[in-house]
Amino acid sequence: MNYPTQWWVAGALALVVPCVSAAKPIAFANGTTLMAEYGAGTMKELQLFYAPRYFYSAGLGHLALRSDVDGRSRDITYARLNYLLKRWNREAAQANVFVWGGAGNARLGEGPGDHFAWNAGFQTDYETRRIYGSFKSELHESDAFSHRIDTLQLGLAPYEHDYETVATWFVVQGRRYTGNIFDGTEWALLLRLFKGGKWLDAGVTADGKLQAMFMINF
Amino acid sequence: MFKPAFWIGLLLSAVAAAHAGTIEMKVNGLVCAFCAQGIEKTLRKNPATADVFVSLENKLVAIETKAGLDIDDAQLKKDLVASGYAVKSIERTQTPLATIRERLKKPRR
Repeated sequence: MNYPTQWWVAGALALVVPCVSAAKPIAFANGTTLMAEYGAGTMKELQLFYAPRYFYSAGLGHLALRSDVDGRSRDITYARLNYLLKRWNREAAQANVFVWGGAGNARLGEGPGDHFAWNAGFQTDYETRRIYGSFKSELHESDAFSHRIDTLQLGLAPYEHDYETVATWFVVQGRRYTGNIFDGTEWALLLRLFKGGKWLDAGVTADGKLQAMFMINF
Repeated sequence: MFKPAFWIGLLLSAVAAAHAGTIEMKVNGLVCAFCAQGIEKTLRKNPATADVFVSLENKLVAIETKAGLDIDDAQLKKDLVASGYAVKSIERTQTPLATIRERLKKPRR
């Protein structure tokens, strides 16, 4: 839980520096979001959210963590509520602050039984059509574990996409885990493509592992 | 009896009323196609909407309304706000949506 100062500085910069297009937990009013992420073998997550209004969504998720340090595992299934706390719409930019919380069940690889688990987090992002940045932090807690996952993304688009064209972004991602899941910062370089409600991130980590995410809004 | 000018005027009025109108809205926060699809989805639900065009480059959302129908400004603002965006201006024109689409489309740089 002792994060280097540079990490916090980078997170703060994500708030104020024009940054890539951020995956958001709320798509649009009456919209459904399905998201699947493969995080370098360390984490896998599947989420399904429905948004009755543009500022909140609710749904289910499953998070599987596999420790890169000692091999321990957590399988957390949860229900979650996402809320758009604040949005700034500017002429050529948008910024958001999302918060969420949920609860569910966790199974541990190293011991028997189910554990009640809760989660909470926030995400802040800023984007123009050329630069993007986001910082996300989420906490997963139970009587048997405490894991926080912090993810910073900074992106650059080689061209300004429009509504009917494919958006292309180059994204640098840094992710840190607490609770002995991964030692240090897991860096990844990603290619991001999206068009018409479909979104794909794919790349490699510094260890040469696959980092990928697919999302669809409908 | 009515003069020919009356009938011509009446005919022109009828043609104008039957012609589909175009509503052009400047919208703040339009930076991501993935996020803006909610606007199109919401506007297409309105029974007066014939077609919708979104240009991120021009921060523009344009609607072609069905012949003889309109969507009032209050409803447009309500729909855009309900989609999570801010309306900067609303203008009504007689430029067909296809013309706007062609004018604003340009090759990728």
